[in-house]
Amino acid sequence: MSRLRNVAVVAFAQAPVVARDEHRMATEMLYPQVRRALADCGVERSAIDYQVAGSADYIDGRPFGFVGALEVMGSWPPTQDLHLEMDAAFAAHYAWIRMQAGDCDTALVCGHGKVSEGEPRRILNLELDPYYQAPIGLDPLATAALQASAFMARTGTTDRRLAEIAARNRAAGARNPDVQVRSSASADELARTPWAVEPLRTGYVPPLGESAVALILAAEGKAERMCDRPAWIHGTDQRIELQTLGARDLSRSPSARLAAERALAMAGATSAADVDLVELSAATPVEELILCEALGIDADRSSPALNPSGGPLVGHPLMMTGLIRLGEAFRQLAGRAGDHAVAGARRAIAHATNGHCLQQNLFWVLGTERRWT
Amino acid sequence: MSEFPPLHQEVVLEFPYKHSTGPVIGRFLAGLKEQKRIWGQRVRGQGVVVPPLGYSEVDGSAGEEWVEVQPTGTVTAVAVVHEPIEGLHPFTTSFAFVLVRLDGADTALAHVVKDDLARLRVGARVEAVWAPDDERQGTIRDIACFRVVAS
Amino acid sequence: MAEPPVEPIKYVDALVRLPYHYVAGDCRARYLRALKDKKILGARCSQTGKVFVPPLVNSPESLAPTDELVEIADRGVVTTFCIVNIPVIGRALELPYVVASIALDGADISIHALVQECKPDEVRMGMRVEAVWKPDGEREGSHEDILHFRPTGEPDMPRDAFLNRL
Repeated sequence: MSRLRNVAVVAFAQAPVVARDEHRMATEMLYPQVRRALADCGVERSAIDYQVAGSADYIDGRPFGFVGALEVMGSWPPTQDLHLEMDAAFAAHYAWIRMQAGDCDTALVCGHGKVSEGEPRRILNLELDPYYQAPIGLDPLATAALQASAFMARTGTTDRRLAEIAARNRAAGARNPDVQVRSSASADELARTPWAVEPLRTGYVPPLGESAVALILAAEGKAERMCDRPAWIHGTDQRIELQTLGARDLSRSPSARLAAERALAMAGATSAADVDLVELSAATPVEELILCEALGIDADRSSPALNPSGGPLVGHPLMMTGLIRLGEAFRQLAGRAGDHAVAGARRAIAHATNGHCLQQNLFWVLGTERRWT
Repeated sequence: MSEFPPLHQEVVLEFPYKHSTGPVIGRFLAGLKEQKRIWGQRVRGQGVVVPPLGYSEVDGSAGEEWVEVQPTGTVTAVAVVHEPIEGLHPFTTSFAFVLVRLDGADTALAHVVKDDLARLRVGARVEAVWAPDDERQGTIRDIACFRVVAS
Repeated sequence: MAEPPVEPIKYVDALVRLPYHYVAGDCRARYLRALKDKKILGARCSQTGKVFVPPLVNSPESLAPTDELVEIADRGVVTTFCIVNIPVIGRALELPYVVASIALDGADISIHALVQECKPDEVRMGMRVEAVWKPDGEREGSHEDILHFRPTGEPDMPRDAFLNRL
């Protein structure tokens, strides 16, 4: 493994996830997070070389709506800018790549979009091909349920097991002031909730919610001046699978397995089980189990801590859930995780996903020390 | 700026699309409409793909010969929708999405089951129910749904 | 038959129909509601003093907040304009018509509006114009409360007065 540039997360600002912000547009929710991230680093906007955002115009209901975010990201004097119609975690990955290429030393990564303004189950039906899959009306909750069905059939996982995982995430979320669902719930209670799409109960899936996030990346030499405890990126990789659901084994995630292997190899780590915490963009307990299997982590053991933030179950703002996982890993390593801190955390894994049924997966491995010296 | 009574606007965006199909998707759909037959395509890295795209999703190579598959198959995944969404889902009362590996195919077809949901589970045997002759239009819904034949 | 029909089905029709439930945000809501009272609001940048209309929560130039709301006059100057000769779907405007960038008195950027009650070839850069509002009782607090702008008859403004507000 050749030597790469040490890059760190140096700031993360998030609007608390809410069902619907009645007083701010998406970009107006983002503005204070941009200001806060810059203030946390003690820098002016001019210190940022590159800006990149993740959002989806279809979520916004505005063709080219993403351009509106330029107004709140500090795009003047003219700056290098990029936008991805993906979770903002992938925008961070792109910024990391540009830093490795030497194009920039600092980057502002933003996620924005108000899920309440549209109807995501209708919108995300359009992510499927228009010939065979979209016309039968598949929506993301239905496809997640198909994946759950396939996984439960292969492994014998029970409804009770899903309830227990959901209860664990709810308990963690109760300690996180930035999530939407702030009350814990027992496995018994969650197992009594009605079907969302069977075999997934409403208690096992997130409510719709929105937020705005800003995260700053900085390369070695600058990161140390912007944050007292930067979270250094040790490894990262992302892989994608086939688009056709029926052509995949939905009960497994080969792309997550491969992306995790590559990220861990870059990080010089032998096993995902060696880190202190893992933040997964798992919107259902089945996704969590599939990802743990891909990572080679036993979901029943107490270490590494799984989703100490509560994970997406307690707050799932589309287009930025993955960036929040990276931000939560930063908070843990930088000692800023407050009541939901994992004591003594030194290494973390953060995950992001895109598409139906974990079609595309991105992993970060981070640590309190530099990877390359 | 102080909080203020919210101002709302309801808008419906509508975009009509005519998606071009191409020689493989187009002929598969013609097979449903005119022959009531289900055609797969042998594809490198995937075996017999149903429904076919004309290329391999694994390595991008062009699909090879046509292979007919049976209208019967085995369910590999079931998702039961108890509260259908109007204008999105194909039925207004409970139904299930399924993945069905048709006999002779190496991939599963995504489709729907309307009746007999209590007997529907992974491993169930199902068969295609065709839309009537004058209602088939050359879409995946020329198969109206699947029905359970053995559970 | 060893293959499906030779003639393919050429198209799959798909009507994408997506309902949206927008929130204007307090900033724009205040601006729109003020139109009902024949008031045009702008917002002043806390760092540069530049006034934006319609108001924003921050200046796109300086990134500083624009918390201070100010009232802008409903008259100003045509900075640039075009004469439209082709019909637009969904609007029943008599052709040809003039769309202008109008720098209102007190604002540092222009808004777009129709200029009517004159011949298109009479419109020129520097021409003074004023808003024509819907009558009292018909205004609802929307952009349509301003019907169009018309010439005031005042002398043209010199270029320096509006060249940086195009």
